Amino acid sequence: MSLQPPRDKRASLADVITLVSDDATVALGGGLSARLPMAMVRELVRQGRRGLHLIGSAHSIDVDLLVAVGAVRRCEESYVGFEQDLGLAPAYRRAAEEGTIEVAESCCATVLAQLRAAEMGLPFLPVRGVRGSDIRRLHPEYAEITCPFTGERLVAVPALRPAVALLHAPAGDRYGNLHLEQPYVLDERFAAASELVLATVDELVSTEEVVARGVTIPGHLVAAVAEAPFGAHPTSCYPRYAYDRDHLREYVSAAQSGPDGLEKYLATYVSGSEQSYQAAVGADRMAALTTWSDSTAGWQELFR
Amino acid sequence: MSWTIDEWFVVALARTIRPRETVFHGFGSPCAQVAMHVARRTHAPEMLLVEGAMYAVNPDPPFIPPTSNDASLSRGAAYSMRFEEFFDAAVRGDVDRMFLSGGQIDGFGNTNVTAIGPAGRPKVKLGGGGGGCNLSATIGHLTVWTTRHRSGRTLVGACDFITDLGHRTPQGSRAELGYTGGGPQWLVTELGVFDFPADRARLVQIFPDVSVAEVRAVTGFPLQVAGDLRVISPPSSAELAAVRSVDPLGVRRSEFSAGELARTFEPGHGQDCAC
Repeated sequence: MSLQPPRDKRASLADVITLVSDDATVALGGGLSARLPMAMVRELVRQGRRGLHLIGSAHSIDVDLLVAVGAVRRCEESYVGFEQDLGLAPAYRRAAEEGTIEVAESCCATVLAQLRAAEMGLPFLPVRGVRGSDIRRLHPEYAEITCPFTGERLVAVPALRPAVALLHAPAGDRYGNLHLEQPYVLDERFAAASELVLATVDELVSTEEVVARGVTIPGHLVAAVAEAPFGAHPTSCYPRYAYDRDHLREYVSAAQSGPDGLEKYLATYVSGSEQSYQAAVGADRMAALTTWSDSTAGWQELFR
Repeated sequence: MSWTIDEWFVVALARTIRPRETVFHGFGSPCAQVAMHVARRTHAPEMLLVEGAMYAVNPDPPFIPPTSNDASLSRGAAYSMRFEEFFDAAVRGDVDRMFLSGGQIDGFGNTNVTAIGPAGRPKVKLGGGGGGCNLSATIGHLTVWTTRHRSGRTLVGACDFITDLGHRTPQGSRAELGYTGGGPQWLVTELGVFDFPADRARLVQIFPDVSVAEVRAVTGFPLQVAGDLRVISPPSSAELAAVRSVDPLGVRRSEFSAGELARTFEPGHGQDCAC
């Protein structure tokens, strides 16, 4: 798709997600506990998407929730889990062990090279690692090449052009100009490499304001933008809110416990709407996550 | 003054950092994360510390949170690299050391963070390797660690799956594979410290409450032991103070079983090697 001309790209969350088709290759922005596009993930669940091929670096509840509801055919991340703190991703782990998803585990640097090839309109880029690793065996699409200049043997990895990228930002304007705070993770690369970029923002602001904060991803790469307050929750979206460790723990526990626990989680939090999600989490809890900047002691307490 | 195994372990990791190195840890690595800040506050004040999944350069976090990409980890840093800036630096050889762990680690220092059992239908699907598969090829030196050596399942004869590269895989040596990095230099476990002469792990230091026989019993590859095996030097008061101030939430402890955390030490106690 060519660059997106300037126009008012505001849409509802539901309308944005209708642009994601079954079986699409979907790049998920953010990473680990930061700025995962959770409002869009929950909407994918509500709309019953199936057969997705997920692309990303290191992810957690976004991938796990989509796997849990059977929305995923293939996972191509470098990591899915909850770090040392909450451990393995329950649904991802179970689906991999039962063979109900294809796990094409990748490496952050390889995904980066593949996205860059797509951005540059090239069919592939070489990487120096991967040879000798069993990650190579998970990817029959890779090839080995000899450098025409040095004679080195390198692994060629094909361009990766996701059909859709789902990105969440703390702020953006109606034209799709997005301001992000670090870590940007792969969001900028996804924005340039993907055919269609869909965004949610915690807050729609004026162009002047997003320019003043700094445009990280320009509107000409973005096709649609929906306002979704706390759209990354339970992951963080600084400078607005820290991540909600208690909620992540509740999700992991529910997903570990099996179908009944998962059903209860979905009914409580996901099935309704983003408004009912926020109500179920609780206004007090949401507000507490925004107090991180009041004091270092208070910030630290959010992680106990 | 007494101290616990998690504190001493982190100090042992910190000592693998040389004074002016550029050092990185991956996500989900609290012990390595704390160790890097301890090194910077003790023997390596001139190191260039790249903070995990924030890629923040020499930050001074007010505390270490239980997740690797929280904004607290970039506090005090003038700059955070973009994802691609860090990976570019690493693959072109500008990063001197990385900390890597694994559910399985073999005698060449290969690590498995992908799956236990056959990869197509794993018995246990682990989280995955992040960037290690490429980073382990080109970063100058690797410090490999585990806090689960005593389980008997971690240091294995052969990894079920090689995610990150040690000194040699069934497909060849680092030189044969075209790797520019030096590979594993140290392997630190909750039982002792290994180096890699001739590319194979060799026990060179041991904690004072552990015997060589105990180490051998839980090591899946043939145990080589240095002729001058020594007890790990106790932590200095400066090192202990650094551990405690860097990590007030104690996230480092999440890597240890409850049984290991009960190990406490005092100066002079049991530090003559009983092996």
